[in-house]
Amino acid sequence: MKVSVLFFGATADEVGEREINLEFSDNAKASDAFGEIVSKFPRLASHKLLFAVNQEYASGDEIISDGDELAVFTAVSGG
Amino acid sequence: MSDKEIQNPKSKIQNRSDFYEITNESLDVGAIARRVVPASCGAIVTLDGFVRQFTKGRETEYLVYEAYEPMALKEMEKLVARAHEEFEIENVGIVHRLGKLEIGETSVVISVASPHRRAAFEACEWLIKELKRTVPIWKKEVYRGGEIWIEGDSQVKSEK
Repeated sequence: MKVSVLFFGATADEVGEREINLEFSDNAKASDAFGEIVSKFPRLASHKLLFAVNQEYASGDEIISDGDELAVFTAVSGG
Repeated sequence: MSDKEIQNPKSKIQNRSDFYEITNESLDVGAIARRVVPASCGAIVTLDGFVRQFTKGRETEYLVYEAYEPMALKEMEKLVARAHEEFEIENVGIVHRLGKLEIGETSVVISVASPHRRAAFEACEWLIKELKRTVPIWKKEVYRGGEIWIEGDSQVKSEK
């Protein structure tokens, strides 16, 4: 099952990419997917992170599906 | 008056003539504020948020704003809906600018029209606070000696 993972701002700087594609086992939980992403890019762990699945903030309990759009970013600072 | 088509494809209009937009163009605060006025209203409160020069002992050269645009528009839509639930207001307009902003340039405008000014003030204050907590937009401060992505300190809970 393939998903895209988007990064913005500080997380894009840490990862060196704005978008990557990753494969996960079917019916993976969002929290597991995000845990794997942080393991893959350990520099992310130095930030307090927020996560989204399909453009909604994620609690982590969501089951992710093929084609989902995940995002990992730091606490927002608009305005 | 606010019924005309907005050309910006990043904006959305609901029947009430609310609007929420993201743009790379410079912001005309007065023009934005005038877009919220229906005849029933006695007050518009507008927040003009702009780039200041000094922050926490750093002298800013300029800011750069970036957004997760489709999610930011969704979150702005939710904010507008919640503002209508919480406050007795008519139209709400929110416009946030992205890209490079110089000192003194406006980064965000929030305009609220209401029959009575108190609701307009309260809603406007609430909207900027919530925008800064929930809308996926980030600012990078470029200052003398370096640059840093500003990280907010608020919690966001996912809503089911």
